[in-house]
Amino acid sequence: MKQASSPLWPTLLGAACLLTLTGVLHAAPTEQQWKTVNHTLVTEHILPRYQHLAESSSALQSSTAALCQQPDQAHLDAAQQAFHRTMDDWERVQHIQFGPIENLMRNFSMQFWPDKKNLIGKQLNILLAEQDPATLKTDALYKASIGVKGLPALERLLFTGQLSELENHSYRCQLTSTIAAYVAENSAATVTEWQQEYSPSVFNAGSEDSYYDDHQEVAVDMLKSLVEPVEAIRDQKILRPLGNGEKVRPRRSESWRSERSIRNIQLNIASLQDLYEGHPDNVANLLRQQGAAAQADQISGLFSDIITQLKTIKGPLTTTLYQPQTVTQLQQVSASLKQLDLALNAAMQTLDIQLGFNSRDGD
Amino acid sequence: METNRRRFCQLLGSAVLLPSLLSGPVFAGANKTTAKPLFASAAQDRDGNYHLYLIGEQGEILLDHPLQGRAHHTEAHPSVPLLACTARRPGRFIDIIDYREQRLVKRILAEEGRHFFGHSIFTEDGRWLVTTENELSTGQGRVVVRSLADDYAIIADYPSHGIGPHELTQQPDSDVLVVANGGILTHPDHGREKLNLDSMQPSLVRLDLHSGELLEERMLPKEQHQLSIRHIDTNAEGITAIALQYQGNIGDNPPLVAIHQPHQPITLLQAPEAINIAMKGYCGSVRCDHSGRYAAVSAPRGDLISFWDLEQQTFISSIKSRDGCGLTATTHNGEFIISAGTGRCLQHNLDTGHTRRLQQTVKTAWDNHMTSIPS
Repeated sequence: MKQASSPLWPTLLGAACLLTLTGVLHAAPTEQQWKTVNHTLVTEHILPRYQHLAESSSALQSSTAALCQQPDQAHLDAAQQAFHRTMDDWERVQHIQFGPIENLMRNFSMQFWPDKKNLIGKQLNILLAEQDPATLKTDALYKASIGVKGLPALERLLFTGQLSELENHSYRCQLTSTIAAYVAENSAATVTEWQQEYSPSVFNAGSEDSYYDDHQEVAVDMLKSLVEPVEAIRDQKILRPLGNGEKVRPRRSESWRSERSIRNIQLNIASLQDLYEGHPDNVANLLRQQGAAAQADQISGLFSDIITQLKTIKGPLTTTLYQPQTVTQLQQVSASLKQLDLALNAAMQTLDIQLGFNSRDGD
Repeated sequence: METNRRRFCQLLGSAVLLPSLLSGPVFAGANKTTAKPLFASAAQDRDGNYHLYLIGEQGEILLDHPLQGRAHHTEAHPSVPLLACTARRPGRFIDIIDYREQRLVKRILAEEGRHFFGHSIFTEDGRWLVTTENELSTGQGRVVVRSLADDYAIIADYPSHGIGPHELTQQPDSDVLVVANGGILTHPDHGREKLNLDSMQPSLVRLDLHSGELLEERMLPKEQHQLSIRHIDTNAEGITAIALQYQGNIGDNPPLVAIHQPHQPITLLQAPEAINIAMKGYCGSVRCDHSGRYAAVSAPRGDLISFWDLEQQTFISSIKSRDGCGLTATTHNGEFIISAGTGRCLQHNLDTGHTRRLQQTVKTAWDNHMTSIPS
């Protein structure tokens, strides 16, 4: 036996080395690792953010109702502040595009944007012209055009027009309050559904009643939420307003009426960074465990760079976008976002994650 | 056009039909002699390389043909072991592969100033390969016929009567082609950018194979002009199922499936609201089942496959398939195979309502379309 086994050693060693080598090259996080990261992201990233949105939108509902009771400048200011807090919370969770927020197009109902054909303006004007009291119920809004249900419609109602238009229990004021109630209802339902249905589905991936076949499949949704918004933010929130080198178009920026376009992007990036490395079991650490520390650090560095770059940009873009300095600064952010997009896509390969082939690039 | 018809008649008279192929050897590998091919599909491996695979009934790889770029649709010849794998828009190659001999028989390259749109079909009699093509100088679509007996020489070149022709079918037992003009103008100088979304006008046309004559042209109602007619399948009765892709605002939630019977307007079908919304304005593929009564339509962005009754013109059901896109019918009525970008393949039977996962030895991202192999 001894004699027979000794010539085998080099072969076995070789095989072992080969296995180790391929192991390193093609290592992918285990189901258990994904399960842990997914659990952390649901409980510490997603649920608290929807919870905050439900709270701030409920406060917005109260303050718009109070505004209609007492339509003075102080109450308008309060309603505008409540709108800002709701928008803050929405922008902090805008990147999550799966789960209950997808139910019956809730995500579009919350924020229909970009609105290239001015659907919101047109639909809102129809409602304001008709002044049909039947439309002043949240039930009616479920059937209404997608343009008049959400935050952009509220922004128009609260940040344009005169205070006098909100007086005497005007239709305009009551519509504002109804839309705010609808947004609050949708936000609350999203939290409830995450708590009662979707979280168990994530935690028990692979079980009979889960929406998911395994934990890696959940990770695909989590990582889509990390990767896909980077390009979307760059294209929609930066390059479109920049007008591709031609004339700048500040009114193409998000939330220009409430003058918070840059703040939105800052909140988006901070949220993506939080998803990436904000909690103990995170994507960055998974990358490091795959032996890709350099890749992990590069992505961390890009997040920090972009956050720093964004801090220097002065708003509101409705005026500052006409200054060459702002254009240059936004172009820098755009270039960094491009780098971040490339780095994140490379990281997906390291993590053996296919974000989508036909869904993202079909024909 | 007269020239085309004369050329056709001459070729129809010739008796030679691919003699070498008809007597070709069986599979080279020992395990491949008895293996029955299940489906063929283009795919991308994890290193980003493109392949055409032929997969056997046990999930084994019967053919692994490296492709020079991303392909789209693969067509199986009706009687000989040939596959035609067409480059994805705006690619310029079609690989013709003999899967028994495991060799590339021919690489067709698009003519100067042309590119393919990802689809080609063999005619029922097995004599012609028909492609949809883009004529770059005019932006107009073309339908081109090549002769197998003549080393794939072009023998006819017709206008598609629209922009961006995509998938095409042949109406059974007839010399009639059905062509989906997607309506979207693209030019390789602008990559895959869509250049005419505001004015696009998709159409479904029926053409005479031998003359190119326009037999019928159907458009969608004006307000639906941004519904691109891209993927079609025609059943034995000549009814065409249509899978649409919406280029307008996703919030419009338009119908995404349609049916066309010859000499009648196109009928748009809408899934129940929640399903229609979940399809996210985008269908990737459509196939009729073996009986021809049912159709499956994939919605890869919505991770779901919907099933339709073409006779009743109604939605039947849907199943989940993450990134599922490729579809083909099995030889059982109401049964389909679904391939996905995740690498998974499912088989779903409408009768039993059961879905099962197919065993596979290869882990690869299955591309847009799959095709079963005639037995």
